[in-house]
Amino acid sequence: MATREQKIKFAIKRFKGFWNQFKRSKRGVVGLVVIILFSFVAIFADFIAPYDPLKPEFGKGEYPALGAASGFRIADKYCKPIWYKYLPWIPRGKTEIVENFYCIIKYYEGIGYLPFYAHEGIANATDNVLRVEHRIAVLKKIEMAEEDGVFKKLNSTQWYIEKARPREIHIVDLPKNGTKFRVTYETGVDLVENMKIVKDHKFASKESFHEEWSWTSTNSSFATVNYNSEKGYAFGINPETEDHGCIQISYNPVTTPPKEGVTVTLSRPFVYPYFEPPNDFYIHTSIWVNGESNVTLSFLFSKENETEPYYLLSVQHLPTTSWTSTSHLSYASTDTGIIKTVGASPVVDRIFASPGRYNFSVQITFPAENKSTTVYLDYVDCIIYGNTFGLLGTDNGFGTKPYVRDIFSTLIYGSRVSLFVGVLTALFSTFIGLFLGLISGYVGGIVDEGIMRFADLLLVLPTLPLFIVLVVALRASSGMVSMWNIILILTMFGWMSFARSVRSMVLSIRERAFIEAAKAAGGSKLHIINRHIIPNVFALVYITLATSVPGAIIVEASLSWLGLGDKRLASWGKMLYEFNASGVQVTKGMTEYWFWIFPPCIAIALLAAAFILVGFALDEILNPRLRERR
Amino acid sequence: MGLKGYIFRRIIYMLILLWAVMTINFFIFSLLPGNPLQAYVGSLQKMDQTRYEELKKMYGLDRPLHEQYLLSLRNLITFNFGTSGQSRLPVRDLIFKERLPNTLILMGLSTVISIILGMLIGVIAAYKRGGTFDTTMVTGSLITYSVPIFFLAWLMIGFFALYLHWFPSSLEQPVSWNRNPPANVFEFIAGRLYHLILPMTTLVLFSVGGWILLTRACVLETINEDYVLTARAKGLKDRTILYKHVLKNASLPLITNVALSFAFMISGAIITETIFSYRGMGLLTWNAIMAPAGGSDLPLLQAIFYILALCVIIANFIADLVYGIIDPRIKYG
Repeated sequence: MATREQKIKFAIKRFKGFWNQFKRSKRGVVGLVVIILFSFVAIFADFIAPYDPLKPEFGKGEYPALGAASGFRIADKYCKPIWYKYLPWIPRGKTEIVENFYCIIKYYEGIGYLPFYAHEGIANATDNVLRVEHRIAVLKKIEMAEEDGVFKKLNSTQWYIEKARPREIHIVDLPKNGTKFRVTYETGVDLVENMKIVKDHKFASKESFHEEWSWTSTNSSFATVNYNSEKGYAFGINPETEDHGCIQISYNPVTTPPKEGVTVTLSRPFVYPYFEPPNDFYIHTSIWVNGESNVTLSFLFSKENETEPYYLLSVQHLPTTSWTSTSHLSYASTDTGIIKTVGASPVVDRIFASPGRYNFSVQITFPAENKSTTVYLDYVDCIIYGNTFGLLGTDNGFGTKPYVRDIFSTLIYGSRVSLFVGVLTALFSTFIGLFLGLISGYVGGIVDEGIMRFADLLLVLPTLPLFIVLVVALRASSGMVSMWNIILILTMFGWMSFARSVRSMVLSIRERAFIEAAKAAGGSKLHIINRHIIPNVFALVYITLATSVPGAIIVEASLSWLGLGDKRLASWGKMLYEFNASGVQVTKGMTEYWFWIFPPCIAIALLAAAFILVGFALDEILNPRLRERR
Repeated sequence: MGLKGYIFRRIIYMLILLWAVMTINFFIFSLLPGNPLQAYVGSLQKMDQTRYEELKKMYGLDRPLHEQYLLSLRNLITFNFGTSGQSRLPVRDLIFKERLPNTLILMGLSTVISIILGMLIGVIAAYKRGGTFDTTMVTGSLITYSVPIFFLAWLMIGFFALYLHWFPSSLEQPVSWNRNPPANVFEFIAGRLYHLILPMTTLVLFSVGGWILLTRACVLETINEDYVLTARAKGLKDRTILYKHVLKNASLPLITNVALSFAFMISGAIITETIFSYRGMGLLTWNAIMAPAGGSDLPLLQAIFYILALCVIIANFIADLVYGIIDPRIKYG
């Protein structure tokens, strides 16, 4: 009997010999490297992916709670990747754009005939104004095709643009049905990144406050701005360690009140470098008014060289007792109040019309009363959402409305599901196949017949429809499908062909002389199967393990692609399902959003191919007589 | 026993398979934990009273389980699938008049093309084994085998439909046919083929890799047999040897695989049809999964699964018959 040490040595030696053979197969090594790479990504997904794959929140825990969410969405939906603008064919800067429209006249009861203008290539008209793609900076000309096809320029009396809607041109007269329009206008075309304007929104240190902010007061003998290191809004779990910095604006009418109200303006300058306006922005602040006077808080943007600032909105009746849960105020640029005061929709088209130096300002106005008041400001911030984000952009946050997801993070986490489902299914189904194949081959008789006929039956069933039906049935009765359900289903219908090949192999081994010798020596059935048959079949097990993983990966992806995967996990198939369900490929064309679907598809193909390559390499080494068998 | 006994046994086997498929159907929908069908029909009660009553009567949900089983057997044998939840048309008409023929055209054409193509390439690859052609083809087959079919379909749409505008990206016939149907047969066939090309190419690419690998393996196994050497010694042309002697003997496992590949093709067709909005069984499956009211349309899915399984069983039966006729061991055995 060999000692344990000898056994280990022998195993190592055998493995070394095997590895030397494996090394010779280039395909196998490539496949192995890819598998190891993906496993690495799957294991360290938490460290590689920059965001949560399902419900990413920007500044989670950084801002006081607003309702249920503790953070903000990370970006706007349908963002392009950050590197997109470096592609040579992507236009940037001031650009002249020509757009074509067709006029469709429809009759409506009670209203009469109305024109509808359809973009070239879009069948369904939606409005009776020419709705151009970008903000109109300078309208060059509008042309209308006559009956003979010659374009004629329209006078300025024949159209107008509402100031509030810089993307819409209204045509005054009713043109003929099918008339072609051509609009030439200048606009900025750019890819805008997200901007967080205030770096230290918690006011952690006095230095950063003075560095970032400047302030003016209409009457500085009455109202002054200071940095306060004590009274900050501590919304965190542990107020002891939380920083306590905030802005303190004190109003002290010593004896006589001023003739008119005193306004204090805090400004944070920033540079907006893009030609195109952002998608939207978010402003917020925490405020506590310590005193009795009815203070007005206003937000505004102002641009250098422009005299009139853009007032966003003003708030009165602010919380006075102390910091409470209602102390934090936040507004999106889609807020109706903001749209009303700025007088444009979307607001950003008006404010960020061109690149330049801007100021984000918070204004506190004290009424002319003899009441000394202190206002504390904390968490003052402005976040601008552009149309580019992350390494692979963002999706549309399908199913989880406020949570737009980072595609790159989802891609990274998706490797977990694919690897897990693929490897586990292969393990389980190979094990079951080996077990049933051994029994069927060695025991024979009615057991053999039963198992093989059952395998034949399962082999005949069309697999994907069967899986769909099973998953849908499970979903209908239990409300959801988990990854384990899918692994179970795939295992149940994945063992047959392997069981068949094991059986045929066992049948031929059974008749060999050494089995007869073992029987003659008095070996039990279990002993013979264990010591003589399994070692002979085991080469096949390794090969099947490798070659049945890709099938499981692809089927899992297909099921998720059909929306039948585990909804709680980020998987590659689910990404594609969301792309498919978003309707993007119909309206914008997948040519524009290829960075959304290509990475997961390529990842699935790479992983599947890697396992197939390893399987082939193993096949060549372990089983020179067997060629690829499906 | 001969051919007659063989065919008789096959028919019996087919009938048993049919019964098994029906039983599996009943098992999945009525015996899985939570009773999916009951849950589905129950969820309809509030939303759609008439459909609730209809389905309850059709499946006999208030009767004992063994009666439900017999009823379901009867429903499946007589193709009584009720009406579709969305379009309110009888499911039987929907499937047999429109969806199934469309799918069979798509799958049949692409199966035939991929078999012919795969066999040709496979034989040549095996003949020139180890050469550049062989390596390219085997690698190419491995790639198409591992690329998921939705990626293939999207690439097809993206390149040929959206970028080059050569072929339409969706539907199985021109939209204008809804108003003015084609004037003659040629126009009909041309319009259909024009819309078929992209989904068909996708399916062919999806399945041809398997055929190349299989043919290559089968030919490699027979190419070293003694009778090939004899034929060569007789001075026959290489091509004659390859196609008359080698391929004929290598084709037996290929024929068995035709039927099995039918089941494999159905998986591909479901996804291809969904992406190309080709109105066949696949798109019907997608519609049934995505049914808006009350979750997925289980009765429709049940019908689809049953019909597809039926198709595969019939295909298997035909393959068995062909096998029996071709294989002399069965004919004279």
